[in-house]
Order: sequence, then C-alpha cells, then structure tokens
Amino acid sequence: MAARKPAEQGVRRERKSVNAVIEGEATVLGDYISADTVLPARWSFVPPDEMAEHVLEEAGPQVNPKIKSRAIIVAGEAFGYGTGRESPARALRAAGIKAIVGGPFGRMFFRNAINNGILVVDCPAVLGCGIADGDTIVIDLDASRVRWKEQAFEIAPVAPIIRNIIAAGSLIDYGRAVMAARDGAPA
Amino acid sequence: MKRRPQTVAEKVLARASGRDNVMPGELLEVRPDFTYSHDYAVFAIDAFEQMGARSVVAPDRNAIGLDHGFPVNNARDANNHARVRRFAKQHKFCAFFEGGTGIAHQVMMEKGLVLPGALVLASDSHTPSGGAVGALAIGIGETELGFIWATGRTWLKVPDTIRVNLTGSLPRGVAAKDAMLTLIGRLGVLGASYKAIEYQGAAVPLLSVSERFTFCNMSAEVGAKAGFFPADEVTEAFVRGRARFPYDPVRSDADAVYSEQVALDLSALEPMVVLPGREDQAIPVTEAAGKRIDQVFIGSCTNARADDLAIAARILRNRRVHPDVRLLVVPASRTVELESSRNGDLAILLEAGATLLPSGCAVCAGAHQGVLADGEVCLSTSNRNMPGRMGNKKAEIMLCSPATAAASAAAGVVTDARAFDDILS
Repeated sequence: MAARKPAEQGVRRERKSVNAVIEGEATVLGDYISADTVLPARWSFVPPDEMAEHVLEEAGPQVNPKIKSRAIIVAGEAFGYGTGRESPARALRAAGIKAIVGGPFGRMFFRNAINNGILVVDCPAVLGCGIADGDTIVIDLDASRVRWKEQAFEIAPVAPIIRNIIAAGSLIDYGRAVMAARDGAPA
Repeated sequence: MKRRPQTVAEKVLARASGRDNVMPGELLEVRPDFTYSHDYAVFAIDAFEQMGARSVVAPDRNAIGLDHGFPVNNARDANNHARVRRFAKQHKFCAFFEGGTGIAHQVMMEKGLVLPGALVLASDSHTPSGGAVGALAIGIGETELGFIWATGRTWLKVPDTIRVNLTGSLPRGVAAKDAMLTLIGRLGVLGASYKAIEYQGAAVPLLSVSERFTFCNMSAEVGAKAGFFPADEVTEAFVRGRARFPYDPVRSDADAVYSEQVALDLSALEPMVVLPGREDQAIPVTEAAGKRIDQVFIGSCTNARADDLAIAARILRNRRVHPDVRLLVVPASRTVELESSRNGDLAILLEAGATLLPSGCAVCAGAHQGVLADGEVCLSTSNRNMPGRMGNKKAEIMLCSPATAAASAAAGVVTDARAFDDILS
C-alpha cells in the first residue's frame, strides 16, 4: 500500500501531450459487427501476424486488406459487441489500427481495445455524415474533437487513465511502468 | 449531511474503492474481492510476465477453471493448459479447477467463491452470471486480469442501474430463459450497455438461483456491465455452507436512483425462439414452429444445470431424438452431471439418443466441439447466436429454453414443448 502513491505519480508524470492528436486514413464499417466477427474464436491462439491476416475477414471480402493498410476505423453501432475475448482487439493492434471512432461500442471490446493501445472514441455523430473509405480522420484529444474535412464533432473528454494507457502504448506498457516505479520506490 | 441513497452497484463499488459514496459516471480505482479466469488465463500470464511482475497480489482471492477447450485436441492448446496449471500452482491460487469440473462461472458459484455483495472480476463476458447470488460480477479482458494479478487493482466506471421489475409467475411450459429472451428482444443488444441491471419485484422470491443465473448470464447480451438479484433468503440458502470467504450481502436503498425502470410480467410470457443472427430477435415459438434444425445443444452456462436437464428428461422420456437431428448434452458442471446422473435424468437423455460431452463450454465456445457444417442450423440453450459463433459463419444458430430444445430434438423441427402436455402438467 505504501508504495502505491509514488508509483502512480511516476506514471502520471509521463502524461504529456503524447498522442494528443491521432490522424490517419479510415476504413468505414457497418453496424452490428460483433467481436466474434472481428476475430472468430478459432484464431485466438495464433501469433499476432497471423491474427492480422484474419481480422475482420468475415465482415466482407475486401475488408481485411483495408484494415491492414489504414490506421483508423469508423465503426457503426454496437461494434465489438458480444464476446469479451481480447483476441479481436489484439488482432486489430497487430493489423496496425490506432483508433476506432463511432459506436456506441460493446463494453468489453472498448476496454480491451484501449488496453491494447487502440483509442476508442464514442462519437456516433460521425456515422452517416458521408465519411468514405480512405478519408483522413483527426482525433484531437486535448480539444475533445474529431475532425473530418471541414467538420468537427465534439466528444466527451477522454479519461486520464485511458490517455495514460494509450500514451504508454498499451496496458502492458503502462503496467510495466507501474511495476518499475513501485519496485524503485522506497517501501 | 444525509447520505445519498445507493444502489447495490454503487454500494459494492464504493466499498471496493474505499469510499463511502460514489456517483454513476465516476471512474474509480477498485480492489476486487475475487477474480477468476479460464483457458484464456494464458494471455493474462503473458501480460503479467511482460509487465515484469513476479508475485500475484492476493492469490488467495484468485482462481482458474479450465472450461473452453477440454480435453484438448491439439498440442498448442495442451501446452497452454499446462502453462496455466503451472502458474496457478506456482502462485498458490486459492483454487484451480481441472478441465471437466465445469464451466468456470458455474463452478465458482457452486464452490462458494462468488458471493453476495462481492466485487468479482473475471476475464469472460458472461461473468455477470455471478449476480445470481448477489455478487457485482463484471467481465474484464485478459491483459487487465494480468494487471490485477500484478497490482491488485484496476479502474471501473460506476454504472447507472436499470431496475427490472419482475412480477407474476411463469406459466406452465415457460422458463426463465423465455423471460430473458423476451427482455433482450425488448432492450436490444446494446440496451443496457455500460449499465448494471438489478432484478427486483414480487416474482423474485419464486425464482431459484439457477433461474436467476439465466437472467444474469444473459444480461451480457444486452451489453450490461453486470446483472444481479440482490441477496435474499433464496441466496442465503444457496450460499450457506459453501462460502469460502466472509461476505456482506447488500441491497439497494429504498430511495436509490435508477436510470430506467422496466416492467416484465412473467404471467404474460410464452416460450421464445431467437432467430439466427442476433440475440435480440426473439419470436414466440408458435411462430417459429416447423423450422428445420440439424443439431440441438443443451448446454452452456446459460442453461445446463440440473433443473434444465430435468425438464429435458421429462420431455424426452419414452421418446427418441429424431433421426435427422443430433442432440448434444453438456452439463454445466460435474456436480450437475452427478446430480442428473443419480436422479436418472442423464440415463433418460442417453436412452433417447443424446450424446453426452464433458462439462465445459463445448459448442458455445465455437472452436472446440460440435462445430456445424455449412448451411446447418443449431437450436441451442446457450446465449449467443451471432454469425460464426459456433465456429462456422455459414451455419445458423437459434436460441431457446431447454424445454423447447428437447421437444424440438424429438420432433426434428422447432416445436412448442407445451404440445407435449402430458409431461408439463
């Protein structure tokens, strides 16, 4: 218990405006894509590279190559609902996804994606406004805004703990910093 | 100053975060009372080791039960199981349940590890099942579980609570599953997203822990963070003599604030069948009757307890599984299997032509047993039917109660069990 506070402060200090802006090309996906569709259970135990080859392949014939070549997904309602397996989120990370915008999202998928360093932003307003595959999306965390072309969409401020995990790279990286700070702190 | 009235979810999270009072929407750092996992614990072990952790905080409040893929059918999974066994032993977890003991959600409750008023976190989306005994049980990811092993804590948002008021009593031939499928149809798969569901009302004292389990389990299918029946005499009768830890049952204050109230009159319900594709597509069995089926699965954490197997046995006594249908029966745990074995229900099911599989997730996990062929249809007592859930995207899944599953297995098509009137009286 005594070592807890210094450890936390150690991590909080790392929170600069790293990753305050995430920008990239988007792949636009539809509604009600379950986490089982993002990555079926049978691929849960394969290495990350192999997961990346299968992520979202069941969402449509051309979806997987697009996911691998663009950093952002604009996802429809209920994206990631259902199973709480983490492998769908790990697969998206392996495919190079940095952020997912849209939703609302399945709760466990939301947490799993963040814990794998993928920022998930609840912003249903982006759906149906005409964003096309390949368009550039900008997520500005300090301004709490998602931008597309001339339009800006307000988002709820992203919680400090989520920003810390994303800034660290993943929950594993965040946890490594917590453990290192704890081990280094006076008892 | 007068303390703000609190719901069960708020009380449990306040205690777990060392606070007197919390508000929905607040982010808290919590220390869970109990955490558990299954085969996927192997990813939590990866995370734990990659974080540089060496010892598990509170191993006496951690358990693992293998259930997703046992007995294993390949060397990779066998090696993963071996790694999980070693880890649980090395870190002196309070319990390790070998494959075949049963589905972790069921086993943790049977063994008195999931308890009233406890904050339970587990790396599976059907963790809310623990609400059957009044626990606030919430699903988390595997990396998060590794983080909790390493640090003893994690962060949670205090959820709004939806109060579902259950009144009346289930008509003959209508099960808790039918009530839950009706509720899911009404709320939609995101209808309780990020929220807790508290089941209350005059019907609650009449519902067994097994029936409550079905409600809480499938609370995941409306996106809920947790679903629970606040502890009462039924809970206490179940927990007494099993509890492995001290526990403190909590009930909501009379004037607690709910974000939404939903009324469900059990007397007005009928058996339901969920059409393939999404869990909120339930229709009355009378409208689904006659639909073709190839496989019937009576199993999963939703509906494979002794009472579920008993109703299936009553329907299949002196009947045969239709020759065009395969019936797979998978008791939720070995305890269930023993009880149903001793009371003769398993023998009736086997005589009818059922295939008995080891206790575990089996068909429902979609990667291990009972995978469907292209174009086939499975009628299942489990909880999920999205495309590909049972391992083949080109197959379809319908959901129903054990009674509907058994009657349909005999008839060879979707069938209203109430037509088999002799056994339901």
